[in-house]
Amino acid sequence: MKKYIALFILIVGLTACEKDDFCTQNPVTPNLVLRFYDMDNTNDLKNVERLSIIAEGKTDSLFTNRTTDSIAIPLNSLSQKTVYTLKMNDVDGNIANNQTATLTIEYNPEEDFVSRSCGFRIIYENVTLSNTGWINSLSTTEVPLIDNQASAHVQVFH
Amino acid sequence: MYKYFISLCFVFVFVNGYSQINTSKEETKEKKDTITYKTGYGLRLGIDISKPALSIVDKSYSGLELVGDYRISKKWYVAAEIGHEDETTFEDFLSSSAKGNYIKIGANYNAYENWLDMNNEIFVGMRYGFAIFDHTLNSYQPNVSSGTENLPPYFPSTPIKTPMSDDGLTAHWTELQLGIKAETFKNLFIGFSFSYKIMLSVDDQKDFKTLYTPGFNRVFESNTGFGFNYTISYLIPFVNK
Repeated sequence: MKKYIALFILIVGLTACEKDDFCTQNPVTPNLVLRFYDMDNTNDLKNVERLSIIAEGKTDSLFTNRTTDSIAIPLNSLSQKTVYTLKMNDVDGNIANNQTATLTIEYNPEEDFVSRSCGFRIIYENVTLSNTGWINSLSTTEVPLIDNQASAHVQVFH
Repeated sequence: MYKYFISLCFVFVFVNGYSQINTSKEETKEKKDTITYKTGYGLRLGIDISKPALSIVDKSYSGLELVGDYRISKKWYVAAEIGHEDETTFEDFLSSSAKGNYIKIGANYNAYENWLDMNNEIFVGMRYGFAIFDHTLNSYQPNVSSGTENLPPYFPSTPIKTPMSDDGLTAHWTELQLGIKAETFKNLFIGFSFSYKIMLSVDDQKDFKTLYTPGFNRVFESNTGFGFNYTISYLIPFVNK
């Protein structure tokens, strides 16, 4: 009898285990972080009014009609190139006053093991950026490695 | 009614009685106990039945472990375990397998004072463990989660189902065991023990990490591990002393 009880406890103990670790990194794969600055006064942050952003080949926007001075945008890990169209309107909500810009990002996606619970993430090497439209200039057009998003990777002047 | 009260009174009556008073004046000479209780010394071989039992319950695991010890003194045993394990780990973003053989060598110290000719153990054991194994990353999906709960990633990743394997990986670890063994029938022992393991060195698969090592079990982030076994073993007595 004692044996069966012990065996029962053993089986329950070994099979009833709950998951005890969770991925706490958030997000695991870094986004490209952009901060928007005033092109005339490059030390001052400048909000982008009513910003909407959509990637080439996508039918749904990443977000729409947001007024912000900083955005974190994901890059497509299955491709070596992501093209975003950024639409803003600093006059009113009228479609006629919309201004667009494109931001083309090229990179080499690499897989990187993080941990048991988080799995693999993507890091982006040799990132190059180019821009058109209402974006006047970028602080840098080359980022050697994006492996975190603790601070802005690129400053955008407009 | 009164007779019950009277009867109840008797309940509280105590009588002290003496018997077997040593009335003789001569002192009894204390005799030395000359009987020594002998226990068997020899090779004890067994099997860990928790691993085959777990193999039946858990389809992603199979394992077998043979255990053995040899008594070298009243308190000390040289002990070893050898085994084979094949385990698949499933995580949210990946699945991996480890398969291989292991050996653990060390000693047990029996901290239990046996009565008479009983031969039970409450032991503390130390082991050095060595495993040689294959580790396979079966499948994985790059974690591109958006960082916001319930929001799917803007660019979903595709699962990669091509297994990648590295063989001939080795691991070295030390182990502390705590357990009991009880002689249930003549020369037949049932025991169980818990173990705490500290990894000394382990080979990782290329661009990946060893998540499970045969004999060590799950490798935790801190490079530690836990184990349990339930053994049935038979003592082949060479000599009684």
